[in-house]
Amino acid sequence: MHEAEAVASRRPPSRRLWLFDLIAQRRWVPVTGYVFCIALLTAGYYYNLTFVQLGLIDLGTSRLGMSGRSVSLVMALLALVALAVSVATGVVMDRRGWSGDLRTRLRVLTVVTAVQLTLTLLAPLLGAPGTFVVWVVVCAGSIGAAMPITFSFMADLIPVRDRGFAAAVPAGLSFFVASLYPQQWRVEEFSAVMAAVMAPAVVVLALLAFRPSRLVDRLARLRGRFGSGRFTRPPAPTASTSTFAVIVAAMFAVFFIDSLGFLRIIDTPAYISTSWQSPDPGVRLFIAGVHVAGAAMAGVLYTTFDWRWLLVWVYGLFGFTHLLYTFHLGTAADAVPPLLLPGMYVLAVSFYTTLNFALWPDLSTAETIGTRCAVGVGVAGWLASFLSTSLALYSDAAGVSLLAHLRYVDALALLLLAAVPLLLYAARVRVLARVELP
Amino acid sequence: MSLELIPMLLLSLLLMASDGAGADTAHLVLAGDHRLDAASEAVIVGDARANVPDGAVLTAPIYVIGGTTRIDGTVRARVTHIAGTLVIEDDAEIAELRQISGNRTVAPTADIGRRTSVDLATRTRDPARSVVPPAVAVVVLALVGGRLARTRRRNLDNVARAVERHPVVTATVGTLLTLTALSLLMFMAFTLVLIPVSIVGLTAGVAVTALGIVAWGHRFGRLLPLQRPGTATAAGVAAVIVLLHLAGGIPVVGDLIVGFVVLSGLGAVAVTYLGFNDFEPAALPIETRDTGSPTLASDV
Repeated sequence: MHEAEAVASRRPPSRRLWLFDLIAQRRWVPVTGYVFCIALLTAGYYYNLTFVQLGLIDLGTSRLGMSGRSVSLVMALLALVALAVSVATGVVMDRRGWSGDLRTRLRVLTVVTAVQLTLTLLAPLLGAPGTFVVWVVVCAGSIGAAMPITFSFMADLIPVRDRGFAAAVPAGLSFFVASLYPQQWRVEEFSAVMAAVMAPAVVVLALLAFRPSRLVDRLARLRGRFGSGRFTRPPAPTASTSTFAVIVAAMFAVFFIDSLGFLRIIDTPAYISTSWQSPDPGVRLFIAGVHVAGAAMAGVLYTTFDWRWLLVWVYGLFGFTHLLYTFHLGTAADAVPPLLLPGMYVLAVSFYTTLNFALWPDLSTAETIGTRCAVGVGVAGWLASFLSTSLALYSDAAGVSLLAHLRYVDALALLLLAAVPLLLYAARVRVLARVELP
Repeated sequence: MSLELIPMLLLSLLLMASDGAGADTAHLVLAGDHRLDAASEAVIVGDARANVPDGAVLTAPIYVIGGTTRIDGTVRARVTHIAGTLVIEDDAEIAELRQISGNRTVAPTADIGRRTSVDLATRTRDPARSVVPPAVAVVVLALVGGRLARTRRRNLDNVARAVERHPVVTATVGTLLTLTALSLLMFMAFTLVLIPVSIVGLTAGVAVTALGIVAWGHRFGRLLPLQRPGTATAAGVAAVIVLLHLAGGIPVVGDLIVGFVVLSGLGAVAVTYLGFNDFEPAALPIETRDTGSPTLASDV
């Protein structure tokens, strides 16, 4: 190790993407691994982003005629079931050694994707709130099982140096597609798009998982080289359990604030018709472009800076964006909102999504990736998103005005913005105190 | 909204504050077509097309900072023209026209009560005058660069090294900083109370950007056959600014080049803490490139 460090200090290690080297050397097996991993993450995130987050709300409220409050309860149920199943799956993965076994995970994923395809096709046919609840529970189970498996492929197939890039592509791409297509946020449209993508995916997954394949065998061998995450080994081993808990809490807060604000903003016609659902394709293209640019920037910064700095940036961007919205609401609610508002919002969202994709695999080793990804994505992503979704729907149903609602969101964002530097300072104090005190 | 509008916006808000009239109720039009019929609050016209139609009577001031404003009707207040296009038609009636800059067409029969001009940069058609501001920039920055190369050489070296070794990272940081800082400064200006802070921020931003360009010049100067470091840097800075001006003439590609140089310079100044620190990206685990043994946590 010391030898390697000495070599590294003499010549700064290359920061070029490994992918470029692989392509230059025509080593197509690892390149296939990249494509597979990125495609899987993109598709999975697009599914959650559109079909689950927006499609289910449409299904519950406008098609089944459920009240805002009961849909919010169903969403909270979905979050809890998804979290429980994902943690269970993650623990089983680690205990049974599936975390190190590519083929077993591919098999489980094939079954889960087939279940999701069936659910997606059934969704527009649902006729009663009772069947909707059953549907949601099964869907939550499938999402929960798929989540740690999908994230664990990052450890198998992507070397640490390229993980910022590999996280930026799904984040940018899924948001890019989601903001251009489909135009209408209706469950039939979402369902048709999803089924068209998922049907061939199930076939490919089944072929890879259940038939003897040299490709899978060779891909499985890559893990030995880049299995352990960036923060689990020198030179920056920070992934102790307590640090992990702090990061989970921090990311939970980011997701919570985002959904809490966004779901009320998209309910406000003046904002949504001038941005995400604008009839002007130029505006939508602008938003899609900012998503890609934001994700690319986050990808570059992720590999260059420590995660603490990135968290400060995310909180700063979010706090500022919410301030902009509140200010606009308070002073010029009747005027056309400038594109700066959704632009800043989108930048912040792309930022933390990229962080979310890269952070959990980088905080895990081959032995812990199932549990850590499940807890990380489950608590920070799902639990936060859906708790806040429920809360946002509830506040809407309870007649809280948008301005009052955003004021709560602002308060939270400000609190966190202040807390992050303080926590960083406290961490430094703790390190120094440990040196000083016996 | 274009970014070059922000300084104009600041200027208009400042003027509005000093004019005293209705500074707390300004209406900003940034895009699209607008009919200004009977606005009783001050109007700032950004990248929009605004029109005061025939017969309309406005009682509050108008500030034109961009886009196109056409006046057919009556404005019983001051019209301030800072930038953009202002067209005053035959029947128009304006209490006072204050001219600062921009393109103007005034019909000879228009009734204008009073004209004042604060001509900062008019008659830029004159080629000799249009060369003056860039020439001043070249001389000033070259002098600053030459001086810094003698007194603060290490800082310039650090910034230049950051740009050279990490162009993507510095350009990314520069872009993100510029985007967020400009939005923040504009937002501050809208609160009116924070206009001074906003101006200080803008000045600091300009200074940091200039330092970035000086660092580019410092690096470029090393390629020139000049021995004395101060002279080399000064010549490099001058050359870089002239090259940037020339590149700005090329459509699209030129803008990309100028944007990259300016933003990466700014980013490099930021990540090196004004050049006091040699920038090192966060250390990544040493990855075995091809074959060979993996470096796992258990090996250490």
